[in-house]
This record gives sequence, structure tokens and C-alpha cells, in this order.
Amino acid sequence: MSDILAVNAVDVTKRYGALTAVDGISMAVAQGEVYGVLGPNGAGKTTFLRMLFGLIRPDGGTLQVLGRTWQRDGTRALDGVAGFLESPRFYPYLSGRVNLELLAGLDGGDAPTRIDRVLDTVDLTGRDRDKVGGYSFGMRQRLGVAAALLREPRLLVLDEPANGLDPAGIRDMRALVGQLAASGLTVLLSSHDMGEVEQICDNVTIMRTGTVVYHGTIATLREQAPEPAHRLSTSDDQSALALAAGRPGLTVLALDGALAVRGSLDAVDAYLSAVVRHGLALRALSLQEAPLQSLFFMLTETSPETVPGSLDRSPTGARP
Amino acid sequence: MTATTSARIREVRRPGAANRRPGTPTALRWELRKLAAQARARYTLLGSLLAPVLLVLVLDGQQRPPKDNIYGRHIHDSGYAMPLLVLGFAAQWVFPLLTALVAGDIFASEDQHGTWKTVLTRSVSRTQIFWAKTVASVLFALSVLLLLAASTITASSLIVGRQSLVGLTGQLLPSHAALPLVLASWATAIAPLIGFTAVAVLLSVVSRNPAVGVVGPVVIGLVMQLAGSLGGLDAVRHLLLTTPFESWHGLLTEDRFSGPLIDGLLVSAGWTVVCLAVAYAVLRRRDITGG
Ligand SMILES: Nc1ncnc2c1ncn2[C@@H]1O[C@H](COP(=O)(O)OP(=O)(O)OP(=O)(O)O)[C@@H](O)[C@H]1O
Ligand SMILES: [Mg+2]
Repeated sequence: MSDILAVNAVDVTKRYGALTAVDGISMAVAQGEVYGVLGPNGAGKTTFLRMLFGLIRPDGGTLQVLGRTWQRDGTRALDGVAGFLESPRFYPYLSGRVNLELLAGLDGGDAPTRIDRVLDTVDLTGRDRDKVGGYSFGMRQRLGVAAALLREPRLLVLDEPANGLDPAGIRDMRALVGQLAASGLTVLLSSHDMGEVEQICDNVTIMRTGTVVYHGTIATLREQAPEPAHRLSTSDDQSALALAAGRPGLTVLALDGALAVRGSLDAVDAYLSAVVRHGLALRALSLQEAPLQSLFFMLTETSPETVPGSLDRSPTGARP
Repeated sequence: MTATTSARIREVRRPGAANRRPGTPTALRWELRKLAAQARARYTLLGSLLAPVLLVLVLDGQQRPPKDNIYGRHIHDSGYAMPLLVLGFAAQWVFPLLTALVAGDIFASEDQHGTWKTVLTRSVSRTQIFWAKTVASVLFALSVLLLLAASTITASSLIVGRQSLVGLTGQLLPSHAALPLVLASWATAIAPLIGFTAVAVLLSVVSRNPAVGVVGPVVIGLVMQLAGSLGGLDAVRHLLLTTPFESWHGLLTEDRFSGPLIDGLLVSAGWTVVCLAVAYAVLRRRDITGG
């Protein structure tokens, strides 16, 4: 892959009046990489991606996309870039196919010859002549992916592509994004769901109210994640709670009519065996929160001091 | 999404695509194709063709012609009087409305549908989209004017006849002289019509609301009419965009005078340039945050 970064943001800032939506964000995405931008609602993910597409102007910092900038290159800064922001929008009074034909016209080149193939890729072939106004949310989302693929992008930017989809839709969208990522495209994926990015992304930037709270690989993040928390229900929770006392590496708390059990898998195994040996019946045991998810909440909800100290949270330190 | 998807994706991303960039004509075709698919635009064009025929039939059947209107008293005497009556009437609010139906909506509808982000993340610039939409609006306005004129003049000359027309100073204009003057009179509406198109474009860009874009120019037109009819406001009257709609009067007097025509062209051009310049600057600078 080329040396030119797919995305190179340095100290990018965007203010809406008194509110700083993006506050000095730096980010470097190499070509061929699958990169996640994670953050809760209002973290500034969409605002950052809007600047990347030139839809809004940064108040400070520099932003290069595939080596081009908006100030210098104008619309050419979008050559090789495609994707969508929030839910994709089309003209509801036109069919999916006509919408794609219109967009292909605005792309120029041989984009119009790709319409059938991209419709096929997102499984919309049978419904392409229906008006978009009659499409389900999931169909519009898939049409958004098709519209992006029309441009034969080198960098595909997807802003919460699974947002608002039903479970089957989420599964299909994740599979599609996974396949696109595997095909060698550079993918920049924003999400508020750790589970969505941890499977397919190599690197992530975690944002919180406009600032970066973590930059780095998923692998590093995983090493720093707290131990998994389980929800346990037994025939006698009081006795089970008493059995936990003094066990090393294990915390058990009474919580909402059940027990919250946190510890390494070995410690949890030993504790459960003891509970059963004591004559108590296990009624339910479920993973309450995936470890990475717990870390994500810690990073984005709690004060910075409670975050594991070894995590590199400086934007410049995490990436070469 | 099937197991063969990734194979297809690789095929889709085949390199070596022709890299011709789209220009403003491409963007114009894009806008005209959308316009052609809109029922509102199609019905407006159809109405511009059919409504004058109905109007001519109704007016022709009336015993008492509308005498308070210029050329109203002559509609039974010559088929050339009716088109001038309609021209005078249309200038009051019909022209601003007809052009605003498209021009007032053409930018704001992208806000309404949330499609700015879809359009502006392709390979065309805001400038190209601006000119495509503006030119499409002007082409639509000119089509409406052409249809109205052709339909009114044809219907009136077939239904009432091609008698001589009485000029505004009482002179008699034979049929062969009247027709070119009637056509020229309608042609004088082109400049202020484009001016109102620019007003509608500006309102459409600034308000981001199709209702404001469509109703605004009509209200502005009516207010200008009112201001123009008040006494003692001659300097202001001169600069109003509704005044050029009356400049054809100079064509139908014994000694023709072209002063109002030239003034009308200048005033219309002034309004057009200012409105389009402001609209362009606003569109260029705005943050696209909706959708
Ligand atoms: N047009 C706007 N005007 C004013 N404030 C805005 C505007 N757009 C976004 N904001 C604010 O900027 C902040 C970041 O919003 P943004 O949409 O980028 O967050 P996000 O990370 O994409 O959130 P979500 O997960 O909800 O999509 C929020 O506080 C939001 O209220
Ligand atoms: Mg968002």
C-alpha cells in the first residue's frame, strides 16, 4: 500500500457556537486499514466525518484525505472516497435504481455501468424499481452502501451503518462491512458499539465529548480490559454471597435481585464449584458485560483518573 | 447478502475506470431529470398550456368584459387584446408564483429530503450544483412563459379572431403589425421573470424551507405592486421588480418609447445579480449538518 495516509487529521476542531463538538482531534488511518471511531452519542463522530467529506468546515487544524485537502483540492479531495453519514438519504419519489443512476451521473466516469453489480452486492436487485419512499429502513441503509460502492472508493466511510437495524439487519450489515473490509478497502467505521468494531477493526479511536480518550490497537485495548462480569442467580443468593468472602481475585455483589460476579475465569469456575458443593442450585449465569464493553464505558463515562493507567491516551503516541 | 458477495465486491472494485469528471452540464442533466419526475413541475407546465384556453373561452363568453383592466374593454374586438389582458393580469402574482413553484423549492427540497449530504459527497462541487439548479429554474420559468404565451395567443386568435388591435394611444394596428407587438410584449416579461426566479432561488437557499421559497416571491411581488401604486414613491417605484412587467406599454403607443424597456432590463438584471450572488455565497459557506 502507498505511503500516503488514507486519513491524516491533526488537531481538528469544530465549534457550534459555544459548543466544541470536536476538540483538537488527531487521527492517522493507513491505507488498507480497517479503522474504528468509537464513542457514545454526542461524542463528535459524525461531526468529524462531516469535516472529512467537506460538508462542514473545521475551525482549526488540518485534515488530509488520501493526501488531498479541501482548501487546496476542492471537490477532488473526495476522489476515491465514498460512504454515508448518519442514515443515508435519497429522493423518496424516485426508485432506488433511478437514485443510483442520478448519483452515478454526478460521479462521472463509468460509474453508471456498475449499478447492476452494486445493487446485487447489497441484495436489492428485486426491489430496485420500487420508490425509495416505500423502502424499509434497512433497505435504505443498504442502498446507501450501494451508492458508496458506485464510486469504487479506496476509502469507505461508514457512520454507524448498523444503527436502527433489526438484529437480522445488523448481522447482515456487519457481514457486508466485514466482507468489504476483507476485500482490501480502507474502511473508516464509526460506531457507539464496541462489539461492532472489535471483530473487524485493527485500530480504534475512542472519543468522548469531542476529545480522544484512546488511540491504538484493539489488541492493546483487550489486554487492558477488566475481567468479565457475570450475573448469577442461585436457589439461595444470601448463602452464595457469603461463600464468596475471602476468595482471591473475585468480587461478588448483590445487585437487582441477583449477584454480580467479577473475576478471572479460573476464579469464577472455582467459586461456582464451591456454590454447587454447598448444595445450592444454579439457576442462571450470564455474561453481564463483555470486557471490552466495560472498558469502553469506563473510558467514555467515568473521570479520566479511573481509566487503567497503562493505556496510551495521547493521540500522537498511539500511532506512528 | 450471500456467500458470493466478496467475489462480487472484488469485481465491483475492478481498477482502471475511466476518470472523466462530471461538469456543470452533467449536473444540469441531473437536475432536469429530477424535475421531470416531479408531478408539480409537470402539472405546472400542463396547466400553463391548458389554463389559457379555458380562460379565453370563459372571457369570450362574458357579456361584460373586465373594463377596469388594461385591454379588458377590447377583448371582444380583437383576438390580440386577450393576450395583453392576460399578460397584465399574470404580472400581478401569477408569474412570481409559477416560477417560484420550482425555483423556490429546488434548493430547499434538498434540505427537506436531507439529500445535500448525498449529493455533495459525489464528484461535483457546490458551485456546479448551484448553477445547475439555477439554470434549471430559469429554463423552467422560460418554458412556462413560452407555453402561456403560445397558448393564450393561439387560443385567442382562433376563438376571437385576428382583427386589428387598438393601440394605447387610440391608433389602429392591423393584424400583421399587432401580432409581432403582442409577441414582443410577452417577451418583455422574460427579464423580470428571471428576476423573480432569482428571488425565489435566494429564498430557497436562505430559508431551507420550500414553503417560504414558493410563497415568498408571491408576497414580495404583491407588496411591490402595492408600493408601486402608492403616490409619491417614484424613485422607489423605479427600482421595483414588478415595474418592468409594465414596460410593454411603450410598445403599443403611436410614438413608441423604449425608456421603460431599458430601465426594466437594468432593474431586472440588478435584482438577478444581487439575489444570485447572495444565494451563491450563502450556499458556498453553509455547513451541511442536516439529513
Ligand atoms: N448543527 C449542529 N448545531 C449545533 N450543535 C451540533 C450540531 N451538530 C452536532 N452538534 C453537537 O455536536 C456534538 C457532537 O455531535 P455528533 O453528531 O458529531 O455526535 P456523534 O458522536 O455522531 O453522536 P451520535 O452517536 O448520536 O450520532 C453534540 O453535542 C451535538 O449536539
Ligand atoms: Mg453520529
